[in-house]
Amino acid sequence: MKFVTKKPPIVTNGEHTYKRSLNLHIALIIAALAAVILNGFYTYPDVTLFTSGLEQSFKVFSMIAIASVISVVIELFYALSEGNTSKFSSYKGFVDPINTGILIALLLPINAPIFVLALAVFVGVYIGKIVFGGYGFYIFNPALVGALFAFSAFGAGHLASDIVTPLETLKLAITTNTTFELQSVLPLIIGNYQSISIGSTSVAVLGLLFAYLCVTKVIDLRISGTYLLTVLVMSLGIGFIIFGFGEMALGYVLINIVTGLAVFGAVFFISETVSTPTSRETKLIYAVTVAILMMVFRTLSSNVEGLIYAVLFGNMITPFLNRTVKHSNKKALLKTLVGITIAVVGVTFIIGFMLKGQIEESSINAIVVTLGGIL
Amino acid sequence: MINEYKSYLEPKFVYLPLTDPTYKIANVKVEEGDAVLVGTVLGYKYKGQIKLPVISSVSGTVKGFEELQDRFGKTVDHCVIENNMEDNQIELKAFENASTSQVRARLLELGLEQINVDGIFTPLKFDRPIKHVVVNASFTNEPFLKTDYLFVNEYAEHIAQGIELLKVAANAETVTVIADKDMEPFAFNSLGEAIVDKDMRLETVKLQKVNGSDVKVISKLIKKPVSPDLLSDGVLYVKVDTAKIVYDAVVLGKVSNSRQVAITGDGIKENVIYEVVVGTKLSEIVSDLGGYNEVDEMVLHYGSFTTGNQLTTDETSITLNVDTINFQEYIELEEDVCTKCGECNDVCPVGILPQNIMDAEMRNVNERIVDLDTGACIECGLCTYTCPSNINVLEWVRRAKRRVG
Ligand code: SF4
Ligand code: SF4
Repeated sequence: MKFVTKKPPIVTNGEHTYKRSLNLHIALIIAALAAVILNGFYTYPDVTLFTSGLEQSFKVFSMIAIASVISVVIELFYALSEGNTSKFSSYKGFVDPINTGILIALLLPINAPIFVLALAVFVGVYIGKIVFGGYGFYIFNPALVGALFAFSAFGAGHLASDIVTPLETLKLAITTNTTFELQSVLPLIIGNYQSISIGSTSVAVLGLLFAYLCVTKVIDLRISGTYLLTVLVMSLGIGFIIFGFGEMALGYVLINIVTGLAVFGAVFFISETVSTPTSRETKLIYAVTVAILMMVFRTLSSNVEGLIYAVLFGNMITPFLNRTVKHSNKKALLKTLVGITIAVVGVTFIIGFMLKGQIEESSINAIVVTLGGIL
Repeated sequence: MINEYKSYLEPKFVYLPLTDPTYKIANVKVEEGDAVLVGTVLGYKYKGQIKLPVISSVSGTVKGFEELQDRFGKTVDHCVIENNMEDNQIELKAFENASTSQVRARLLELGLEQINVDGIFTPLKFDRPIKHVVVNASFTNEPFLKTDYLFVNEYAEHIAQGIELLKVAANAETVTVIADKDMEPFAFNSLGEAIVDKDMRLETVKLQKVNGSDVKVISKLIKKPVSPDLLSDGVLYVKVDTAKIVYDAVVLGKVSNSRQVAITGDGIKENVIYEVVVGTKLSEIVSDLGGYNEVDEMVLHYGSFTTGNQLTTDETSITLNVDTINFQEYIELEEDVCTKCGECNDVCPVGILPQNIMDAEMRNVNERIVDLDTGACIECGLCTYTCPSNINVLEWVRRAKRRVG
């Protein structure tokens, strides 16, 4: 026996990063399975590609499988070129690549051609992750980079041209100043409606996964919770300003929270640790920034769904936040809370009244400037 | 919790280090063949003009001097004394109601200043005004080791009186005793009874959670984040065993020549709390315990996990300032990449951001390191303890500290 002083026998609290990736992995597999099954029941009346639910299920399954395989292959090739494949000697090495693959697949629409999917995975994994140095070092969420590439290169219109989502209906109703028909709530919860991303529909499933990931500490509730709360408050405010108190306003809230990528993002993207800030206050600022931007994109831009841009923007300001923050104490927390509350309330009012037509289009510039100031 | 108690009170030889990292120069007062008693001054150690005595822990004969590794991993001269097993002590006056100067003089006389070298505990030093005396009622503060409640229970009254003496010595305004919420009721009650009629506040916290709750208690007391040198914040922070030693020294006129050490880890046959004579060689204790388990590589950790030192030999003596010794088989802990989860930032009890400091250190940006108030780190090690990627975050913070010096 000899005494060594290599590293103290650090006693840690028993939390392990790998355990968390594994929990995320499990959650993603469940989400993937749910997508495969649920897509078998959905009806895409205008999508002529499929003749049966089974076909739809199979398409979703193959998208997920192919994306995962491509993601693993890219990372494997890269490891080979670097001459270090030891990472892949156990399942541990496969977990993160598969996770990224599944996420990209779940973000794309059911009628996305496989070559588009393949390109998205390549861009996400290679340009979004490997170029930055791999897991732990990237700045932008790789899955979102991949999805953004697919949507912007091939056009959301082209990719999902035949899919009409509740958010789209809602937007149309507001811009053309017509009333919209609130669908019954249950299908929205289970996920039986048309949506662009194949994995984002069922808040019932996503809600359970959210709880699971919170308990296993994969999700930081301070980020995802703040984000969801902000979306809730903002849509409530905007809904009330546009429609006044009543069912329509609640419908507005419901559609904004339940459909689109709001909850999907809260589960899988918003608190993804690597691309988000590291301290309490900056996490809150980040969460609120993403929520506000998403609502701004949803309401004021030509986009129907703003989450991808919003999170990527949040990722972009993360290094800035990380490198300017100094302390994490009560004073800083208080300042942050006051700041974000003002920002949320302010932006909600501005969006609400703009949509209601009480604010001239010409004053948008002024508002953008104010917004920048607040943020 | 360790329920095994043992004692090893008759070592043939004791080995007493003549210097320490603070007091680096020794002036020896005895020679080979001299007879000494428990409490005899063997020499003085100096830091500039300030000196502390090195005293004998047994009665017997000076055998000579030997170089050994001390608890900080430095090789220093030790005075070797052959024990005549008679335990004769020098005459020490016992004080009923000691005054400030009497307590201070006694602590100085017995060289008790450097009794706390682990964690954020402070030395028994009274060169700056002290407002608050804070006493941690857990015997050791290791995450997986519970307080030695039998000790607290048995000596509750002595501990309480020792705390009072510390207050007198420090001329302090307040006394706070920090106890663990999960403390066994019998010990909690004894301690409560002993301090109830004294002017002390009892704060119960969940020490088992290891989230710097003691630091938070102190921050609340001084109404600002604690600084790395608590004495400069006007706080004297010690453990209960220190209070007991102070009581013995002042009220009983007894030289503390033995102490309790928790010896733990999977590298040895048994985990026990040992009562040993100060200066006993660790290797003797290990043999007494039945030796080591079969391992290739062993990490020998002296003192607290986050702030102690690893030694390369067990030929080292147990001094008064050691309360935990851990033997663990070296297992390579795989370090994952930092996932930027921020948990180290959340746990830091002084509110600085170790993850961001680590990042700045990796990027070599001195300005940012200063900006992040790196010097405020009290080296509690909680960041390392919480990191799910097994990163030794504290080590990065230390490096950053050294860089901007
Ligand atoms: S940086 Fe780490 S060691 Fe330093 S005070 Fe904070 S948690 Fe403790
Ligand atoms: S706890 Fe560890 S993994 Fe998490 S941010 Fe701190 S250093 Fe990185």
